[in-house]
Amino acid sequence: MPGSRSWAPALFLSIMGFLVVAFYLLPLLLTVWASFTPIRDWRVESLGKSVGLDNYRRLFYLIRHDPDMGKVLETTVVFVSGTLLVNVVGGFLLAVAAFLLDERVSLGFRLLWLLPRMTPVAVFGLLWYYFFHGNGMFVHFLQALGLLEGPTWIGQDQRFLPWGAWFIIIFVNGLVGVSYGMIIFYSAFKSIPRDIYMAALVDGARLRDIILKIMVPLTRWHIIFVTVWQLLSLLTTYAHLYVLVEWRVVDKWYGMTWSLYVFETAFGSTVSDQALAAAAAVILIVVGIGLGLATLRIMGFERELKPVRGDI
Amino acid sequence: MRGALSLASRLLGRRGGRLEEAPLTGRGFQAILVLALLAASLPIILSYTLLVELSFSSTLIMSPFQKTQFTLENWRLFLEGKLAPTAARIYSPAYIRSMIVNTLIVAAGVTVVVIAASAPAAYALSRLRFRFRAATLRFLILLHAFPGVALIIGVYAVYVYLYKRLFVGGLLPKEYLLLYSFAYVIVARASLEVPMSTWILKGFFDRVPWEVEWAALVDGASRLRTFWQVMLPLIKPGLAAVAIFAFMAGWEELIYVVVFLPREAPTLASFIHYQLSGGSLEASYLPVVAAAATVYLIPTILFFVFTQKLLLEAAHGGLKA
Repeated sequence: MPGSRSWAPALFLSIMGFLVVAFYLLPLLLTVWASFTPIRDWRVESLGKSVGLDNYRRLFYLIRHDPDMGKVLETTVVFVSGTLLVNVVGGFLLAVAAFLLDERVSLGFRLLWLLPRMTPVAVFGLLWYYFFHGNGMFVHFLQALGLLEGPTWIGQDQRFLPWGAWFIIIFVNGLVGVSYGMIIFYSAFKSIPRDIYMAALVDGARLRDIILKIMVPLTRWHIIFVTVWQLLSLLTTYAHLYVLVEWRVVDKWYGMTWSLYVFETAFGSTVSDQALAAAAAVILIVVGIGLGLATLRIMGFERELKPVRGDI
Repeated sequence: MRGALSLASRLLGRRGGRLEEAPLTGRGFQAILVLALLAASLPIILSYTLLVELSFSSTLIMSPFQKTQFTLENWRLFLEGKLAPTAARIYSPAYIRSMIVNTLIVAAGVTVVVIAASAPAAYALSRLRFRFRAATLRFLILLHAFPGVALIIGVYAVYVYLYKRLFVGGLLPKEYLLLYSFAYVIVARASLEVPMSTWILKGFFDRVPWEVEWAALVDGASRLRTFWQVMLPLIKPGLAAVAIFAFMAGWEELIYVVVFLPREAPTLASFIHYQLSGGSLEASYLPVVAAAATVYLIPTILFFVFTQKLLLEAAHGGLKA
């Protein structure tokens, strides 16, 4: 048995280890490496050549002089902050509502709001393709209110840009992300001893006081965690944005965030400039690692880590 | 609304020293809350309803309230591979079947790879003592948080490099190309799920009493045998949870499928995507696409019906493994 100690961990960790090396570490190195090479059109032979910091120079040149790149940056800021607000505040309000409701009704609503998160991207995109179609439900609704006449693609129409496109991408991603906060806040509310709520009620506290003076302070770490984690997710998410842009639901540039820009630059049908995409990706990596480390600290990671018991 | 009477009755619900799980607010307030939530949920409810209704509709409706005739025509057209009622048979029924099979292959493949990689790793991280154990666990969280779009460039570069070595270099005949693409997309996509799955399974292993394992080891079973015959059966619920999440991740995948699989081997996701991309939609027939999307949604719905509890508990795996 004593001999088992040396080989056992390596054996058990081997498959995961291989996947981590082959599909995280190696690609990560390659992406960083590629940002210093002239690779285009997936000619991997170019990975042997170096162009120094040229790709970064090109990237910053574009940021300064290309109006489309300016739109990408603006869209990233508006999209991330807008959706973050929806996800955290919306998630909190949904959780409060779900917490206050009778359990059976509450379960129904929680499941309904989880549906967007579980729906395949292609189907979810299709739902909102119909909804924001030039002749879709949303336009019908605006027409009924007398705000709009005739068929209009509000994510494309020059009269409504950029906010028409921004509204749609925040709406769609907000629906996907809001359930994350809802679930975490809901279970946090549940874990507060019920007697505390009861005592407040007996003392004549109003609902507003219960929310602001009990629920918010007692779940502040959850709120910070959800905020940082969602910030990270929103900076890096691109699948839903990709279909909205590719299906022409929203304007190309006012629907494109930094991470979608990375993807489109590397895999797009018109551009195939992996070197530039890699340089843009490296910036994302730096931000991502910083926020990831912040999340670890917030999670109080060390507490999660139970010591190994009884290893012989 | 919250009269003394209702409060008293709620407090009287105390049984066995525990407060009964009665709502904290009165009936009137509950009704207002339900109405507000329904209003907020309206876009979700209407959109999903429209999608399913459209797949059974004889005309192209844009809202669930529009008048239409019930028909199975779209489903027939979809299964026969005709995308528009007037179109010649662009696709064959076999093609449509293969599309569903392709989606299943990717989903099942991802499930197998995720379980094979994360179950043993989770066991080691939960039960074995070795250097860098804590560092490995911390590292896995960082990996989970890592920007996928930054990885996919490198992942695709390796794919292209191997392709050139294997197929252009002549090591393998071209017939294996499709197999290569599928294997690659499955393993690459599964890898993204492995860090979080390992964390979740570690949580399940943590909860198995040490005495159980102790008994097996004392009886002379090896670590491997203990893992396989004693521990794995004890965490079946955890394995089921992780398997379901992995399956759904593979089933719903769009980006990796579009990037790595050839256009001739679509899944339901890429099929829908190709119908709509570039704004080419008016050429295809929306109700038929709606039928495809409804088929695509079926596992999600089944998953919902059968795993409500699991879903609400495990969807935030990162915080409470």
